[in-house]
Amino acid sequence: MIVDIKEVAATPEAVILQFSGELDFESIKSLVDAFKTIDTSSRKYAIAEIGKISMISSAALGEFMGFRKTLLEKDGDLVFAAMNMDIRAKFSSMGATKIFRIFNDVRSALNAFKWQRGLAPEVINLTFPANLHLVPPVRQLASRIAKQKGYGNKDSFRIETIIDEICNNAIEHGKRGEDQNISVKIDIDQKQIEFDVINTSDPDKLETLKALLKPTHEQKIHSEEKRGRGLSLIKMLSDELSVDCSEKGTVVHVKKVREVKNGISN
Amino acid sequence: MNIQLPYKFELSFPGDIEYIPAIRKFVSEVLLVLQFSPKFAYRSEIIVDEICNNAVNYGCKTEDARIDLICNVYEDGIDFTVKDPGGDHQHIERLKNAISVQSDEKSNTGLGLEIVRMLSESLNVVIDEQNLTSVRIVRKREDISQNN
Repeated sequence: MIVDIKEVAATPEAVILQFSGELDFESIKSLVDAFKTIDTSSRKYAIAEIGKISMISSAALGEFMGFRKTLLEKDGDLVFAAMNMDIRAKFSSMGATKIFRIFNDVRSALNAFKWQRGLAPEVINLTFPANLHLVPPVRQLASRIAKQKGYGNKDSFRIETIIDEICNNAIEHGKRGEDQNISVKIDIDQKQIEFDVINTSDPDKLETLKALLKPTHEQKIHSEEKRGRGLSLIKMLSDELSVDCSEKGTVVHVKKVREVKNGISN
Repeated sequence: MNIQLPYKFELSFPGDIEYIPAIRKFVSEVLLVLQFSPKFAYRSEIIVDEICNNAVNYGCKTEDARIDLICNVYEDGIDFTVKDPGGDHQHIERLKNAISVQSDEKSNTGLGLEIVRMLSESLNVVIDEQNLTSVRIVRKREDISQNN
């Protein structure tokens, strides 16, 4: 067995262990020595890249479990990447797939770590024609992404409602025309999701829109009022709302913090 | 319904397979809204899934790699362009081999391009000098008068 330990410049907390050969009983000592060389106080996230491994013994797997335990105690983890089908089958038969997280490649493992740590939000950009019929697919896209990233049903539904309201407003109150587009930017991380919805301002409606956004008007908004309900709904469902309205365009920015109760996403 | 095609959609997302189910569903739902048949929408979903999976698995080697999906919807069909930053040399060669295979040849490239070829009118792949890979697929509406 050969093990090559690589540091990750962009992610100093992570370390990649590239294995090749056979992880049999005889390789246990080298495996333990390799783990000992890693400073677990600074490198808490280990990725074992085992694409070039032809076999793994249960004793070797036990060593991986031991090292993982050490890392877990320091709020880290040990994951596997680039595992071939034979090894995956063996992992499965030993029940190890229930213990270790397995990723397709090192890049995915590093991204998962960054996501977990909230090191960098992930960004999704969408541009679509300003047509009200297209809003349902857009709001469902946002909701599905939130669910996929671990947000709960309640949060995902609220995100869907927020997106629906902002996009409908952008189309209804923005400049109309075949060539008009709406841009949606979604920044999502472990703790919060942020949206920026941008549309071209309609010069005829700009003054009315500015008046609608004045704080004095916002205080007057009642549920009986026909206009301005959307914005107050977004305010209720989100943690931050800002509208920047100019001749060039209107930008609505919304921040929604993920709701977590007893460690479970709402 | 006031829909005046062509319509253009542009999506940019992180090169991570987690995003693909939401993206392919979005394309399918947009097509349904634009009154394409469920069969057309579903087959387009399969194509988007295949091409985006290839882009993520073989075209993204850096942590911050992104995928761009551009969709033009016309009265008589749709074209998709999926762009990725390009993978390593081995993957690029594999993709080139897959492209060079003629549609009547039996092949097993493992890239899902055969399915895409089967379901589309045309498939073009361009790999530039920086390995930036762009896959363009054109699909024609099978029957405008009848819903498939």
